[in-house]
Amino acid sequence: MTSRRDFLRTASAVALAAGVARPFRAWAADLSAVSVPGKDGMIVRSYRFLDLETPVEFMTEWLTPVNHFFVRNHMFEPAKVDASKWKLTIGGQVEKPIVFTLADLEKVPVHSVTNAMECAGNGRTLQNPKVPGIQWGKGAVGNAKFSGPSLKVLLEKARVKDTGKHVMFRGLDEVPGKVPPFVRSIPLEKAIDADTLVATHMNGAALTQHHGFPARVITPGWAGAASCKWLTEITVLDKPAEGNFMSPGYRMPNAPVKPDEAVKPEDTHSVTGLTVKSLIAAPSDTAKLRPGKQEIKGVAWAGEADITKVEISTDGGSSWNLTELGKDHAKYAWRLWSYAWKPAKSGDYVILSRATDSQGRIQPEAAVWNPSGYLYNAYDQVKVHVQA
Amino acid sequence: MFRLSAGVLTVALICALGIAGAASSPNEQLPAGAMQEKASAACLTCHEARIILQQRLGKPAWTREMDKMVKWGAVVDPQDRDALIDYFSANFGPDQPAYVATKSSGAPVMKSRSKPKH
Repeated sequence: MTSRRDFLRTASAVALAAGVARPFRAWAADLSAVSVPGKDGMIVRSYRFLDLETPVEFMTEWLTPVNHFFVRNHMFEPAKVDASKWKLTIGGQVEKPIVFTLADLEKVPVHSVTNAMECAGNGRTLQNPKVPGIQWGKGAVGNAKFSGPSLKVLLEKARVKDTGKHVMFRGLDEVPGKVPPFVRSIPLEKAIDADTLVATHMNGAALTQHHGFPARVITPGWAGAASCKWLTEITVLDKPAEGNFMSPGYRMPNAPVKPDEAVKPEDTHSVTGLTVKSLIAAPSDTAKLRPGKQEIKGVAWAGEADITKVEISTDGGSSWNLTELGKDHAKYAWRLWSYAWKPAKSGDYVILSRATDSQGRIQPEAAVWNPSGYLYNAYDQVKVHVQA
Repeated sequence: MFRLSAGVLTVALICALGIAGAASSPNEQLPAGAMQEKASAACLTCHEARIILQQRLGKPAWTREMDKMVKWGAVVDPQDRDALIDYFSANFGPDQPAYVATKSSGAPVMKSRSKPKH
């Protein structure tokens, strides 16, 4: 999206255009829409920096198309990266620091992972009381097939020393003011999992600018913040990286806390794997339905675990019914589900969904409130009205 | 995204006029008030107004946000700090109605005819 330089260069021209147009706006269609080439119908949480949310009604496909995949940026996207000049370095606690070009990466065997990627703050706006941050609704999540070298293969070429414990990533995003850079690290054991990627492709095509072209980390099953975009530097450390986005950022209290209660850093832990969660894609909230057969459908995911069942309640939680899980499934991916429902009579209905995973985790009725609004995963809910 | 070429400027004009059917000026404004100008100067250099417009926070949380942003480079005269916190608390407090987000209008995505390599 807009890099800082692009924005400053052209802001005056666009302001001029908008000012000239004002008298004509009354008869124009959909004036509230914001132009984001390649991203259609997305909820604009922020334009600069770009943060786009997927409407939950779009979540009816196994693979989320790139133009409907959510975007989370903490900083300005880099100006268009010249792939022929792009380099990836690996240094720190390694025997042989190494530099890769994109051509070098293309010689490394390709590994693919279908990953349900979710922003740690997805659902933040559903927290009560409200907490600061991008006020994501339900749709900072998507499921895509990512492809590229396993990070493990690249680290093996650099030969990690015995002192190497964490692997830190730095991207090319541009940092404004004195904002701390978006630099984070993951433990070595996750970094050398064969499914952790330096991905160059998404759903079979080269990564787009918004999704980290030319290469990004994919740390599957973990919150999206562990999957650095526009990757350019990998540093092996003897301890976790430091900085705002490691602490206090992306940390949760070990036990529930009250709003405005001070939490000591030692009483918190880093956000890593995603929780178990389901969303209802159809029918939409506040939908007016005709009597007769209805299909309730949606998605469910569980980070590093597998979804074992998704249940639906159409009576506000008094009784629950098993849904049918979709045929497509893969480790780390989300699972489609559907339920055939025939409402007994006209009236208002509260439809709830809850997922259960292979670790025995059950999506809870209420999420645990936390000061940053991370990992919200209460039952999903839509209210519909059936009218003859 | 935008560049000052004649073609892009024409597209921007067409979109703003509504002839193309979508796309308004992408950046929102902070609400009117005594501190609007100073808040805009302090905050909107680094990010746009939507990030503020969507928050619903009490005064203690706005105080923490203000002090964090000053640490991160927001230029605020110390004499204006309290008035800015009051401005944000009054306009974006917990009791304010929810912010309604806009949607994006994207150019059509061209499908590649070549078989994907991966």
